[in-house]
Amino acid sequence: MLEAQNITVKYGERTAVAGASLKLSPGEMTALIGPNGAGKSTLLQTLNGRIQPTVGSVTLDGQLLETFDRRTIGRRISVVAQEAELRFPVTVLEFVLGGRFAWAASGAWGWETKRDVEIALEVLNETELTELSGRLMNELSGGERQRAVLARALTTEASYLLLDEPTANLDLSHQTMLLGLVRNRCDNCNASALVVTHDLNLAAQFADNVLLMKEGETIRTGAPQSVFTAELLQEVFGLRVLVDTHPVTGGPRVTPVHQTHRYH
Amino acid sequence: MGNTTYCDFPEGAKKVEKVGDTLHPSLERIIALHPQLVIISTASQLEVFTRQLENQNIAVFVTDPHDLEGVFRSIIQVGEILGHDVQAQTLVQQLRARTSSVEEAVKHLKPVRVFYQLSAEPLYTAGHDAFVTDLIRRAGATSVTADVPGAWPKYSAESALAAQPEAIILPTGGSMGGGNSVVAEALRHSPAVAQGRVYKINDDHLVRPGPRAVDGLNEMARALHPEAFQR
Amino acid sequence: MNINSTRFDGIPAINGASRDRVTLRKTVISCIVLSCALLLTVVLMSLVGSERLPLRPALCALFSFGNAQCGLTTDQFDILFEIRLPRILLAAAVGGSLATAGAGYQALLRNPLAEPYLLGISNGAAVGTMMALVFFGANEWSRPLLAFAGALVATLAVYRLARGRAGATPERLILAGVIVTTFLSSVIVFVTTLMDATRIRSFTFWLLGDLSGSSKSLLPLAIAIAVSGTAVLTWNARSLNLLMLGERDAFDLGVEVSRVRITVFLVASLLVGSSVAASGSVGYVGLVVPHLARLSLGSDNRISIPAASLGGALFVIIADSAARTLIAPRELPVGALTALIGAPLFIYLLRRI
Repeated sequence: MLEAQNITVKYGERTAVAGASLKLSPGEMTALIGPNGAGKSTLLQTLNGRIQPTVGSVTLDGQLLETFDRRTIGRRISVVAQEAELRFPVTVLEFVLGGRFAWAASGAWGWETKRDVEIALEVLNETELTELSGRLMNELSGGERQRAVLARALTTEASYLLLDEPTANLDLSHQTMLLGLVRNRCDNCNASALVVTHDLNLAAQFADNVLLMKEGETIRTGAPQSVFTAELLQEVFGLRVLVDTHPVTGGPRVTPVHQTHRYH
Repeated sequence: MGNTTYCDFPEGAKKVEKVGDTLHPSLERIIALHPQLVIISTASQLEVFTRQLENQNIAVFVTDPHDLEGVFRSIIQVGEILGHDVQAQTLVQQLRARTSSVEEAVKHLKPVRVFYQLSAEPLYTAGHDAFVTDLIRRAGATSVTADVPGAWPKYSAESALAAQPEAIILPTGGSMGGGNSVVAEALRHSPAVAQGRVYKINDDHLVRPGPRAVDGLNEMARALHPEAFQR
Repeated sequence: MNINSTRFDGIPAINGASRDRVTLRKTVISCIVLSCALLLTVVLMSLVGSERLPLRPALCALFSFGNAQCGLTTDQFDILFEIRLPRILLAAAVGGSLATAGAGYQALLRNPLAEPYLLGISNGAAVGTMMALVFFGANEWSRPLLAFAGALVATLAVYRLARGRAGATPERLILAGVIVTTFLSSVIVFVTTLMDATRIRSFTFWLLGDLSGSSKSLLPLAIAIAVSGTAVLTWNARSLNLLMLGERDAFDLGVEVSRVRITVFLVASLLVGSSVAASGSVGYVGLVVPHLARLSLGSDNRISIPAASLGGALFVIIADSAARTLIAPRELPVGALTALIGAPLFIYLLRRI
């Protein structure tokens, strides 16, 4: 279990995150929701040690995160973020194999083992990238690149997946596919995922838990039904919403009301 | 009256107003002195400067001697312009006399093969167009780099070694300080070094195309052919 | 920042080509081939110079490692073993060092255009060497030491200047490099003009490189640094592979980013420092050679760093041989040749889609 206890992150005067607590248990997907500046990304980055909290601690299986070395953390926790500066030509396979770095036997040097390549090929298959494995990353479309980034994260075989707005510019089918893959991992491999997203309905359909934040504060945490209420969402996002039950999934459906008198 | 920063001969020259060095003379300083005439030696790099002076209606006289004869000519010309013809002629006569006596002394002697080392690292020498190449010839020697195009070429270490010079001239010790007093690595095993024929000559006497060049000629000749001057 | 809007604004490779990933076998074969080419070049260039040497005796002497004179005169023997061979070996050390440093900076700064010369790091090393010549003239070891310090300071300056809020974008990096290079060039010109001409070398040495100064005592040091520097960077190659594609990603995947960053900075500065102390600034090597290596062998640093090192050695040996034979018995500065060869080559590489 990856747990954040009472995390406060301050940058000088500014408080990015105030007293947030979070538990990632195996098999569960948690969504992190909130308007811009809520501190979602910051909180996510404390979970793999990228940002040090000013107050509070992060523990992995009961042990403080700081006590682990980077390589071990790399094997247990994996991040899917949006930074990808592809200024050098690299093939999809080479890119995805990068995820096996933390498993290298002899420190920084070494070559990929047969097992490494097998795992990478399996993941490429899972993310439907097998045909593209020999192509250069920059030749791929946006959606395909995002899949490759997810694939790289999956090859680490980490039990904890932290995804920072992974579906931001993807089309509908790719959004579903990507989160479907993550959900798969949670269900079948007992992984645990944290997804920062702006899409409330995706969160409602895929996540087991939701953490709602605003300006660093935790507003509510719990199952989607309990968090996605009209009053709460209106207060947090400052806009009128309609929350009803999704006719197919049975979970909450959130519809923002942008303009009231356009269609009569 | 003004002269450049490094002018120090004769003694009186040191007290004269300085207007900058030969490569970067200060136009302002020069104009401030209201000169009737500016004398420049070495034509090439100062074309722009020369034009600026002409724009200020200041008379300019340029000398660019490539050999000793050229120096004598320029002395006479300067003398004529300044109205000191007679002194100029006398000086040149004296200089010619001294030159001839040196040349006479070494006339029948076998010319010494000489390497003129301007600097060791990087290795620079005197080429075909250098003023000092003429002096070397008159001093009863041949510069092994006399045919190399240009005035001060950067020279190959291999070729220096292969040249096997019998003597090496190290211009040093003048107003530019005591540097260049060591023979270049490539020449360490040359006949010149083996026989101790490495001569340090005051570089002021070798590089400045003026009356003291004859001193330089004299010093080189005596160093290269001591037996010709025993009397 | 969003992955979908990432443009590949680096230098494109062969379009649409599938490429096999780099393996140990591929690396070893490439290195062997390049090493053989290097050896061949050393031998061939030893036979070339402003003085003609008889072919057979020269080859015979070379292969006897200087133990047999093989009919060469003492002079010819000296030319071969005291002047030419040390110079060629120094050229190899300088070329290898600069190419490896270039590859290191490119991986670290995530920019294929990072190069010691363009970023002003060579000039920093030059200023350091000048200080050594002025204040510690007699001590030969002070030169590479202060050159290293100078390179380090310049690297820090560029790194600091290039860091914007969005990280070191290519534009900021080039700008920072231009600022540092031009500033330091002015410092060099300033000092050379003011200082006693006999204590400081000429402009051409500093700003265009010159391998003719035979600091034979520093040759073993230069070679040792070139080899060990390449070894250290190759040891970190896998980390650099990840770093090259994003500092945050590398961190997340388990790379100890700070440690690797410091290591590369130190090693690359040492490589540049030792080269500049020996030969002044030689440009384009750190830019063109790693590029060629990556284009032909892949971006994987495990192969491209050693390949760049060997390729750099080759490149500078050839450039220097041209510098000392084209207008024999006069010499050109080697940096002029590397630029004359390197710039058009780079333009060609840029256009190759």
